[in-house]
Amino acid sequence: MIELKNIEKYYANKGVKSYILRHVTTSIKQGEFVSIMGPSGAGKSTLLNILGMLEEPTYGQYEFMGEDVVSLNERKRIELYRNHIGFVFQAYHLIDEMTVAENIEAPLLYKKVPGSERRSRIADMLDRFNMVAKSDLFPNQLSGGQQQLVGIARALVAQPSIILADEPTGNLQSAQALQIMELFKKLNEEEGITIVQVTHSEVNAAYGSRILHLLDGVIKEDVTVSQTV
Amino acid sequence: MFRLNLKIALRNLWKNKGYTLINVGGLAIGLASCMVLLMYVAYEWSFDKQFSNCDKIYMVYNNMDANGKITTWPTTPTPMAKEIRDKIQGVEYAAHSSFPENQLISYGPNSFKKNAIYAEPSFLKILDYKFIRGNATNALQQVNTVILTETLAKNLFGNEDPINKIVKIGNTEGLKVEAVIKDIPHNTSLRFDYLLPWALLEKFDPERKELNWKGNNSLTLLQLKDNRFFDQVSSQMKGIYKRNRKVSASEALLQPLSKLHLYDKFENGKSVGGKIDQLRIFFVLAFCILLIACVNFMNLSTARSEKRAKEVGVRKAIGSSRKSLVSQFILESMLMAFIGMLVAFALMELTLPYFNGLLNIDLVIGYYDWRFWCILIGLSLLTGFIAGSYPAFYLSAFEPVKVLKGYRIAGSSSFFIRRILVIFQFVFAVCLIICTSVIYQQLNYIKNKPIGYNKTGLVEIPIQGNLSTESQLTLVRDLLLKSGAVTDVTYFSKPLNEGGNNSSSFNWPGKNPNDVFLFNYGSSGYNFTKTIGAEMLSGRDFSPQFTDSATIIVNEAAVKTMGLKQAVGTVVKKGDIPYTIVGVMKDYVSESPYKNANPTVMFYQMGEVSSIIARINSDQNISTSIEQINGIFKKINPDFPVDSRFVNDSFEQKFQNEQLLGTLSNWFGGFAIFISCLGLLGLALFMAEQRKKEISIRKVLGASTANILTLLNKDFVKLVCIANLIAFPLAYIIINKWLSAYEFRVSISALPFVIAAGISLIIAILTVSVQSLKVAKANAIDALKYE
Repeated sequence: MIELKNIEKYYANKGVKSYILRHVTTSIKQGEFVSIMGPSGAGKSTLLNILGMLEEPTYGQYEFMGEDVVSLNERKRIELYRNHIGFVFQAYHLIDEMTVAENIEAPLLYKKVPGSERRSRIADMLDRFNMVAKSDLFPNQLSGGQQQLVGIARALVAQPSIILADEPTGNLQSAQALQIMELFKKLNEEEGITIVQVTHSEVNAAYGSRILHLLDGVIKEDVTVSQTV
Repeated sequence: MFRLNLKIALRNLWKNKGYTLINVGGLAIGLASCMVLLMYVAYEWSFDKQFSNCDKIYMVYNNMDANGKITTWPTTPTPMAKEIRDKIQGVEYAAHSSFPENQLISYGPNSFKKNAIYAEPSFLKILDYKFIRGNATNALQQVNTVILTETLAKNLFGNEDPINKIVKIGNTEGLKVEAVIKDIPHNTSLRFDYLLPWALLEKFDPERKELNWKGNNSLTLLQLKDNRFFDQVSSQMKGIYKRNRKVSASEALLQPLSKLHLYDKFENGKSVGGKIDQLRIFFVLAFCILLIACVNFMNLSTARSEKRAKEVGVRKAIGSSRKSLVSQFILESMLMAFIGMLVAFALMELTLPYFNGLLNIDLVIGYYDWRFWCILIGLSLLTGFIAGSYPAFYLSAFEPVKVLKGYRIAGSSSFFIRRILVIFQFVFAVCLIICTSVIYQQLNYIKNKPIGYNKTGLVEIPIQGNLSTESQLTLVRDLLLKSGAVTDVTYFSKPLNEGGNNSSSFNWPGKNPNDVFLFNYGSSGYNFTKTIGAEMLSGRDFSPQFTDSATIIVNEAAVKTMGLKQAVGTVVKKGDIPYTIVGVMKDYVSESPYKNANPTVMFYQMGEVSSIIARINSDQNISTSIEQINGIFKKINPDFPVDSRFVNDSFEQKFQNEQLLGTLSNWFGGFAIFISCLGLLGLALFMAEQRKKEISIRKVLGASTANILTLLNKDFVKLVCIANLIAFPLAYIIINKWLSAYEFRVSISALPFVIAAGISLIIAILTVSVQSLKVAKANAIDALKYE
């Protein structure tokens, strides 16, 4: 599904290149649950952003479902991205001015999904996450865990084939974090959604099927997790 | 999508009520000011354009080369119209008429003094007034007929049918009402209440029958067959004066009727603008104020960008394209402009009556006029678009990764642009303050400039009805003096504030026969200078102790023009009749207070006088005096209204234009400053919020409230200072240009500039301090806690 070849990312500052990513080459298949780990500044988030097409690599080749992303124009890229990628952020990033239901609806609007289907999908999501009663609340009326659930619901509602999560549990208490990870695992196993998450926590990483260890922009280790944890 | 965006926009507006209020308020005031000014411009612009052939109609002006310069008047010889009709090709119609003049018209007990014009029948072919009764084809043909305007007909006849009824004019001649036309609209230069046939004027004043080219006392209009004949006709018009009178120093000039009102200034025999310049200023002012309001909006929106940045990032991350973000922000500003428009509408309705009273015009909101709605809606859309465009493109360009990671996105570029915008606003505001104060200085200067006579307590009463004989005039004078209401009485042949007649037929010893010099002339009664409080430089007033039938009084300017060393005793000829100068009076202001007085000659000819001038007794209550005066006139002239006027009041009218300019720039300058301050307030609001943490840390480190205030205000003061520096030369150029049109003008002093700098700084500091004080006094821990 995802093919990265020799991805490099650096910022040139007064002639000195400071590398974020070096020679990153890997591939992610449909249905994998990948965790990217590494110390602060290793380039985890940058890698995730490149995967999510929010950032462009300085150099290298990136194929998403057989299409060369780097050479795509913006419109095509947005198209690709609307249809296949769901994002979950550490700080949830819900739109404060929208209610829970409207936040979930937003990606569908951009995808131009017709109204009746929008409503049924939202209802479905709310139902699934047990938030029907909260659909008219604004984000600041919810707890962090609940907000992150809305964030995930928003990522899922567009029925993406891959979810990219940047430390999805970083701001949560452990009980809530556990709940979110269970949810990811379930999504991965039951619906076959590919998940790529950035995390600091070994425990969270253990939910996945594969771990990429990043250090100073280089993939140090690529291990498959045995599903016995 | 649209609905959701609209909903979110509304929620956003509601959530940030302060910003919304500032934005909507600014836009509303901007829009209302712009609309009112545009309505005013449109009103002035619409002058004389209601005639169906208005683009082909021209008025003949008279360029007279005298006193070493060319002066332009709308007065032409009576036979000119016939000459044009007979001899010049390409002209469809030509007609002459008299100038509007107040005359008594009565029907039964109803009598009014109203404006009348005597005109030839073809006058009505050129100016197609709307006939309600009767028709235009045979109007003005018979001598004793009259055409009334609707309101006058109503006033005279009430509900009676006026057609074929007999009205009386000047209480003597009976005239048959031939037709009724619609009232002459306000936006017409040539206004009257009723039309009389030219033949009637000839009956009243047989001299008018003489077809001589000496006197210029008619108004000549012509209509071309087509505008392509214009060059041909004007070349044929060249020399029309000289062909008919060899010694004439005049040349005809064709001025389009549609330009009559706005292009009323002539220099060297050419039209050089006039009111149109003022109108252009207002037009620019209208859009500048709107622009300032837009700038406010841009400023506040980009200032708040950090708050919106996250939303932009998230929207982009969940699949929004830049286009849809741009449209969302534009939608928000459109919404704001729309709300602003509603408020502006209310503001306009509230302020129009006041504005009308101020300008003495009659603007109404044209609810049934599609153009009004088009402009209003177009303007709102434009405002929404301009105001929203910069923020929309600025905000939508954020990169999602950066904003979501919480980088500071308010780069130096946006901060820089915001500063430029604030400076722009204040440059405009400061310019307006400077211009306004100079306009007022100039007005004050002219008003306080000695005018050569004492205009307070002077009353003018027209001579009419039974007063036409000399003995009656003497009787009135004696009655007035005896009543104690007045202290002095004299007569004059024209209103004191008008130039009156002029002539170039004066000759004096030492005059070069080839030079043409123009003199104003008039007739006054005894004790003229004493009554009006003017000064006699040498010689004497006309007085009953002398026989004054062959004597004249001249003014200083006349002595200068004639180049006389010893004026008193010199014999001056008008035509062939000799007159001896018996007195020289100091120049006094009769025409423009902005110019030197024209040379003037005063005769003693009681047959010519048309008004009584009296000085009210200052020891007595004015209203009692006026009552006594009215009583005396009513007794002698029971059929005529007394019609007394204070010279002071009519003198004030000379300043109408400047007063108007001053008032308008005062008001709209005030609005501009107000809107700019709203913007500044918003910016300070934002700045204070953004620097909360910094300020808290400074306070923890020991900064005092005063330190913090200085810190926060410094930036804004700097901006206003820069704005002042830019505005000074700009304003200097503008005001210098404006002043250069006046012969008498104030010299530009530092005062207006100091005032402008002072006002702008004080207002800016006050505005900003309201906000910064709050931050400076806040508890430091509150801001530091959440990090």
